[in-house]
Amino acid sequence: MLKYKTFVKKTRSGGILKVVREHYLRDDIWCGSEVCVECKDETPVLEKDPCMESNLCTFPHYLIPDTNVVLHQIDVLEDRLIRNVIILQTVLQEVRHRSAPVYKRIKDAIHTKEKNFYTFTNEHHRETFIEREPGESANDRNDRAIRVAVQWYSKHIPDSANIKVVLLTNDRLNKEKAEQAGLIAYKCEEYIKSLIANPELIDQLALTSDDKNEITSSKILFPEHLPLSQIQAGIKSGKYIQGTFRANRDNYLEGNVFVQGEGDESTEILLQGLQQLNRAVHQDVVAVELLPRKDWVAPSAVVLQDDGPKAEDDEQEEEEEKKLQMKQVAQQALKPTGRVVGIIKRNWRPYCGMLSVSLIKQATRHLFTPADRRIPKIRIETRRADSLAGQRIMVAIDGWPKNSRYPNGHFMKSLGSAGDRETETEVLLLEHDVPHLPFSQNVLSFLPKMPWTITDDVMKNRVDLRHLCVCSVDPPGCTDIDDALHCRDLENGNLEVGVHIADVSHFIRPGNALDQEAANRGTTVYLCGMRIDMVPELLSSNLCSLRSDVERLAFSCIWEMNHNAEILNTRFTKSVINSKASLTYAEAQMRIDDTSMNDDITKSLRGLNKLAKILKAGRIEKGALTLSSPEVRFHMDSETHDPIDLQTKQLMETNSMVEEFMLLANISVAQKIYDEFSECALLRKHPSPPSSNYDILHKAAKAKNLVIHTESAKELADSLNDAEIDGFPYFNTLLRILTTRCMMQAVYFCSGLDSDFRHYGLATPIYTHFTSPIRRYSDIIVHRLLAVAIGADSTYPTLMDKHKQAALCNNLNYRHKMAQYAQRSSVAFHTQLFFKNRGILNEEGFILFVRKNAIIILIPKFGLEGTVFFENKNKPSPKMVFNEEIPTLTVEGHTFNMFDCVRVTISLDASNIQHQKIRMALLEPVIPGVSVPPPDSEPEAKKMKLDR
Amino acid sequence: MAVDMRLPAILKQISLSGSKGAAASLVVPGDVITTDTGFMRGHGTYLDEEKLTASVAGEVERVNKLICVRPLKTRYNGEVGDVVVGRIAEVQQKRWKVETSSRLDSVLLLSSVNLPGGELRRRSAEDELSMRDYLQEGDLISAEVQAVFSDGALSLHTRSLKYGKLGQGVLVQVSPSLVKRQKTHFHNLPCGASIILGNNGYIWLHPTPMQQDEEAGGYYTSTEPVALSDREVISRLRNCILALAAHKVMLFDTSVLYCYESSLSHQIKDILKPEVTEEVVLQTRHRLADQEG
Amino acid sequence: MAGLELLSDQGYRLDGRKSTELRKIQARMGVFDQADGSAYLEQGRTIALAVVYGPHDVRGSRAKIQHDRAVINCQYSMATFSTAERKRRPHGDRKSTEMSLHLKETFEAAILTHLYPRSQIDIYVKILQSDGGNYSACVNAATLAVIDAGIPMRDYVCACTVGFVDDTPLADMNHAEESGGGTNLALALLPRGGQIALLQMDARLHQDHLDTLMEAAMTACKGVSKVLDEVVRQHLQETVILTGE
Repeated sequence: MLKYKTFVKKTRSGGILKVVREHYLRDDIWCGSEVCVECKDETPVLEKDPCMESNLCTFPHYLIPDTNVVLHQIDVLEDRLIRNVIILQTVLQEVRHRSAPVYKRIKDAIHTKEKNFYTFTNEHHRETFIEREPGESANDRNDRAIRVAVQWYSKHIPDSANIKVVLLTNDRLNKEKAEQAGLIAYKCEEYIKSLIANPELIDQLALTSDDKNEITSSKILFPEHLPLSQIQAGIKSGKYIQGTFRANRDNYLEGNVFVQGEGDESTEILLQGLQQLNRAVHQDVVAVELLPRKDWVAPSAVVLQDDGPKAEDDEQEEEEEKKLQMKQVAQQALKPTGRVVGIIKRNWRPYCGMLSVSLIKQATRHLFTPADRRIPKIRIETRRADSLAGQRIMVAIDGWPKNSRYPNGHFMKSLGSAGDRETETEVLLLEHDVPHLPFSQNVLSFLPKMPWTITDDVMKNRVDLRHLCVCSVDPPGCTDIDDALHCRDLENGNLEVGVHIADVSHFIRPGNALDQEAANRGTTVYLCGMRIDMVPELLSSNLCSLRSDVERLAFSCIWEMNHNAEILNTRFTKSVINSKASLTYAEAQMRIDDTSMNDDITKSLRGLNKLAKILKAGRIEKGALTLSSPEVRFHMDSETHDPIDLQTKQLMETNSMVEEFMLLANISVAQKIYDEFSECALLRKHPSPPSSNYDILHKAAKAKNLVIHTESAKELADSLNDAEIDGFPYFNTLLRILTTRCMMQAVYFCSGLDSDFRHYGLATPIYTHFTSPIRRYSDIIVHRLLAVAIGADSTYPTLMDKHKQAALCNNLNYRHKMAQYAQRSSVAFHTQLFFKNRGILNEEGFILFVRKNAIIILIPKFGLEGTVFFENKNKPSPKMVFNEEIPTLTVEGHTFNMFDCVRVTISLDASNIQHQKIRMALLEPVIPGVSVPPPDSEPEAKKMKLDR
Repeated sequence: MAVDMRLPAILKQISLSGSKGAAASLVVPGDVITTDTGFMRGHGTYLDEEKLTASVAGEVERVNKLICVRPLKTRYNGEVGDVVVGRIAEVQQKRWKVETSSRLDSVLLLSSVNLPGGELRRRSAEDELSMRDYLQEGDLISAEVQAVFSDGALSLHTRSLKYGKLGQGVLVQVSPSLVKRQKTHFHNLPCGASIILGNNGYIWLHPTPMQQDEEAGGYYTSTEPVALSDREVISRLRNCILALAAHKVMLFDTSVLYCYESSLSHQIKDILKPEVTEEVVLQTRHRLADQEG
Repeated sequence: MAGLELLSDQGYRLDGRKSTELRKIQARMGVFDQADGSAYLEQGRTIALAVVYGPHDVRGSRAKIQHDRAVINCQYSMATFSTAERKRRPHGDRKSTEMSLHLKETFEAAILTHLYPRSQIDIYVKILQSDGGNYSACVNAATLAVIDAGIPMRDYVCACTVGFVDDTPLADMNHAEESGGGTNLALALLPRGGQIALLQMDARLHQDHLDTLMEAAMTACKGVSKVLDEVVRQHLQETVILTGE
């Protein structure tokens, strides 16, 4: 079936090295076209009638892009419109070497069926393989290989099909040579511009170095970057330092280079001024040179609130201004200062943001302002500026030439108009790196086929618990029910309590695309009014959701307890359950409270509730903290999805009942998997915070003549319980909110790589996540570990590899953090929407923190936090005295203490459409010149902003 | 010194057409010869789960119920009466160990040799001590297989005047399977040299002795220089034998002689050049075929 | 940047083979006259030369003599010019001693040693050029040499290495693939009966994958055996025709 020819390449390079290589050239590589009759390809990828209407190529054709086209114009290639493309192996390999992200994207495109991308393995094909000729550079050879492949295609595709192949190349020489050989070759720009169907594609074209014609004055603005070899030599000799560049959020002329030292040591190097930053973009890995000590400066302490878009003309001016500012502050403690000499690795990603339309009419070049303030503005070229203005768009950076003030980029896609609920959600998902695209076909192919039934095969290693009276208790509207409970009396007088968790790991098998996708997503992200699932809906809301009256697979943790809630026996098993009822917290509470109900479910609930109370008491006895954070819930309009009411979450007894058993299950499982796999158990820990974290809490309590003990969790819990002030019922909650801020972040970790397992907040020596596998990937791993531990499932290599486990933990921690941020941003956005509809409100609030020039206020009614600034840009600052010890802030004679009650106006500041925010202004206490009049008139702050 | 260099040449494929008949009886290790249990298992076969299986690559030979596989090439398997040429490997108590290209070293007992002084002499302790005087390590002998021991080792004897220590001459080693079994393995070739075709693949070439019966037992070695012409003849014969062996032509007096004659048009040193070898061997083959036909 | 992509999405390996395809094997038997058996084998660009002497009397220490079977003595060596870097390889370094031992074990399983009591069989193998799969090339070459020597064996011994990349077994890895890291399993098989003469694996592998890997290795070994079989039969016929019987 295959013929092969053997080539031996023996070269002696450098010293004496013998290279032995073999290359089998095949004649069973198909062309992948439907029209071809010679090739025995079973599933040809390229269509019979490729139609891309172009006025350059009026005939049906396939495209073959060369390497640079793929590298630079990946955005265009990814467009729906571009189909029937042949990606040559030569190209793919080159792309792989040059850029990993582009490689991934082109691979994704190849995998997308609808795009009809075909990979032609030309390097292994007998007729298209070519050897490098003496004196030919590797690049020339590859270009030739591409031409040979194109030639082969044009000969190979039967004339009757009337399909031609078109080479896309931006290299003039390559194009000429191709044309000499009688091939059809176009420049990428030419071709894309000729497409009739979609003129918008032109905007997505990246600016290539070829026609980067004088974008700005040819004046060189930046020092040249050093070549990589020189940088590496410099780093070796210690002349340069390698680090990650982090732009300053508040001052675009300043940034830090974060240098990872040995172990935990790390230092930061300050960079100030455009020259020193030298085109570094946030997150780039750069090489910096330290400046001599005399040139060291201090970071500018000034926080510039709003750095709105500036017209290009006054740039110079502004820089001057900034420089002046720097000199003024340069008296203070100096920091190591350096300058960027070269970029080691760019970490560019597509950025969300908005277009700042150029002032000149009909201009095609515009500046783009990213939502992330750490990213510089990007110059893009588009003819649709008018339609794009006011829209959220995505832009990718193509390069930053040394004679350009801003990096050059190109438009990728529009997300929708700014301020839109969907658009803003999209933006916040993108900016928080939440994978939210619909699941790919590849992923969906691993879902079980419907209709799904429980087969005997599945019943193997499973206990039938369908007869048990299991029920679930969840918030209203919950469709991904991952836990259910039961409780029954045993004959020996003890109680049997079962926690049944959806058996997601049964459906998601290790290593397949579904598993990889879930592992990457890490967690389901809940935003206001929407949910970004970690696993496809079929699983999350159907097969894995433990709904009532259907048979579902579960992983059960069953305890035998006595009436004092002491565990006598713990058992884990895979099972089949049939939930008898899906209740909401309120419903469950009602059943418990309603003495007239005495059915099995209610009895079970009562039993659970009773035990939960004992468990909770025991937990609190041990020093578990009850913390508080203001949580709000929006009531959404069912049609417009706009928030119509805002409500802080209410807690019921049943909430804590469910929580209690989930904690118990998690702890039991954690112990079990740790006992079985001491090296590779996935656990969750909550480190105890360093004592300095509590300073603010101590100070706050002292201000109210209370003492908070923070030596241990137990003492902290006790003193929090005791901290009450008569006539100030909210004080305790405030204190708890404050305590929450002192805490560390709980994290996942792999037991083999850590020694401290304690969960501080829950006061348990070991903890993990087991109970929500539908929405957390960590739980899936824990399920797998537990399944192996009880012999219900087989293990697989990565499960037992502690380093891979640790890498997974890192991703999960990152995703969790990002999900939280996204959630907060979503709440913030919805709060804004809410206030937009409300106009200006005036509310009572408490001072949560006191800052140098502002106070931070919490409005309990909305669970909203806001800042009242006492400084304004175009007004003289009021007289302020800040006392760090207590802390207090005295403004014009009025002293603000923590926890003081104030009245503020709340309004939406929409002046900067990109960064809308809730603005608060002081009403009471009235301080002349600082506070604002009651909100019957337009608030001053807003008016002022609008003037600009 | 002139050095003859040659480029590597592609090996000539030998046409295998028309040899299907022969192929049928060829087996390789692991080939099942028969599943019929009525046969007896001979050399080169083993029983694998009731199946008679070949353990060597070669031709199947069937003698009534006995099935053997004769490998194409093997160490020498001695049979009683074979003429062998061997080299003394060791001198032991009352015996010599002789290297005969067999699986195990052969044994030449002190009692199986003719000692100087007549056939009926008793072997004394003195003889035992002076064994090295007769034959020492490295000496070549011609002998006949007297018996085969149970472990496969051969017992030799030299109790005939034609056997005994070999004097001046050239030893050529070839595969034992190339030596054709014949009535006599001692030949005085008409070209002026003698040859002993040992069944074990050791072939001894020496000048034809002047007088046939000089000294019985022949433990005396003449050290007289051999004439150049004799040496040339012997050298040519040696190369001819190697040429024939390289082309797997069976060796016996006629084939050697024919080959010798065919080679006369070439210089002695050229015979082993592949193309010459081929030509010479081809001529030999033709002559042999003619003779048979 | 990124390492070599050992297996492309299209299922091709670096040298253009598919995952189950072997390298081209070429071999000749009976390359030396002096030895009892000899063979030359190219497996891709790995070249091995094997010679067999024996069975013959046990040389050296008499203590080695086994009274019920033959002793097998293997010696593996690599030519100084066999690898990329020219390197003098003294006899008896750890690697070659280990390899010698493996070969010895392999052939003790295959050769009918009980037929030759008190004797010894020497197998010398030399790698002339190394491009991965040295062990398998040695075994395959030595098998041919043993057959050439007419020493009885149960069956051929065929060896092949199998790697494991992206959950796919790669048959007969070359040097680039071997140095790409990952698992490398070497299997010597008596193909007809499917008995394993030697199984060796250095890296860690999850047991779930072992079965697939073994299966791939067996298939590969059987592929090798087909090629060897052809070589032997060809050689047999040639010799038979030449000897004219």
